[in-house]
Amino acid sequence: MKKVFVIEDDRGWESYYKRILRGYDLSCFHDGVEAIAAMDEQVPDLVLLDVLLTGPTGFAVIHEMRSFTELEKVPVLLVSSVEMGDFSKEYGIAGYLNKATMTPRSLLDMVKYSLTEATND
Amino acid sequence: MESEVFSANSGAIVVAHELKAPLSLMRQLALSLELEDSKEGVNEIGRQIAATSERALRQVEDMIKVARLDDALFEMEPVNPRVVCDDVVNELWKLFQFNRRELKVYYRNRRRLVIANPQLLYSVLYNFCINAMNYGGEDLPSEIIISDKSTDRIRVEVRDYGPAIPTKIWREIRKGLVGRPMDISMRPGSSGLGLYIAAKFTNYMNGKFGLVRHRDGTSFYVELNVSGQLSLV
Repeated sequence: MKKVFVIEDDRGWESYYKRILRGYDLSCFHDGVEAIAAMDEQVPDLVLLDVLLTGPTGFAVIHEMRSFTELEKVPVLLVSSVEMGDFSKEYGIAGYLNKATMTPRSLLDMVKYSLTEATND
Repeated sequence: MESEVFSANSGAIVVAHELKAPLSLMRQLALSLELEDSKEGVNEIGRQIAATSERALRQVEDMIKVARLDDALFEMEPVNPRVVCDDVVNELWKLFQFNRRELKVYYRNRRRLVIANPQLLYSVLYNFCINAMNYGGEDLPSEIIISDKSTDRIRVEVRDYGPAIPTKIWREIRKGLVGRPMDISMRPGSSGLGLYIAAKFTNYMNGKFGLVRHRDGTSFYVELNVSGQLSLV
């Protein structure tokens, strides 16, 4: 089972992700510091990352992740309720989902696609 | 002056921003019903939608009250804060449960009644509790504590055990800089609307709005004048 780290500070959303992504080995974290520390123990296959977090923002988390060789290629899916520009090249993210417009199906598809792409790489 | 700073336009943006998160979540939950095959799962989603929508509705109602404060629609009367706290807990326990949080109440006051408006006091405590739920640490309770601050004042505080509030925000609130929600936003995704509402209502009730920084969390409080009337409740 693929290991997915979810970094989300809203418990309502966390509960939603747990329900939709129950086919994956999910670990949930409420801030980036806690998540990065856990990545030291176990490297996830995918990170689902909220942008607006308590403490360091999602971008700071990606920046920190990329500073570790073993986390350099871990795919990151950004999720946010605010409109984002195309940061994919700059931050090396696998994809972006808008909380206001995504669907459970598009979330599942994007997670599956990102994990497949990472395996192919 | 506050209304000039927190103009109708910026206010609308802040409220829209605050409502976007629960509306997005409710949409996702509704859409996820078609993927749910167990009756228990469907019921749980239904409960979460109800709890999330109740919170969003509460914010809308509070903003309507803020807009009507100048019309003096909210009469001040002797209020038992314990009764108001019980009502807040009754409404919020489900939401706390969904967020794997606990809400405890401690009554340490001897004096019973304060001069307040029950609706506004309810909103103040509700917003404090939501704030505590969002910032409280995992598996640590949020606490509502009612205590006698002095012979003529009762303090009702909501304590969380989350990360310490940033110094900048603490200073701004201590100075009374709650002219608009953004001034007291404590995290990137939040506008601080709940605390803004609490500060406005506390001010209307001639109370004192404040906070205490702890090493392991924050307490937001409201202090209200004691009523000379005896409580029959």
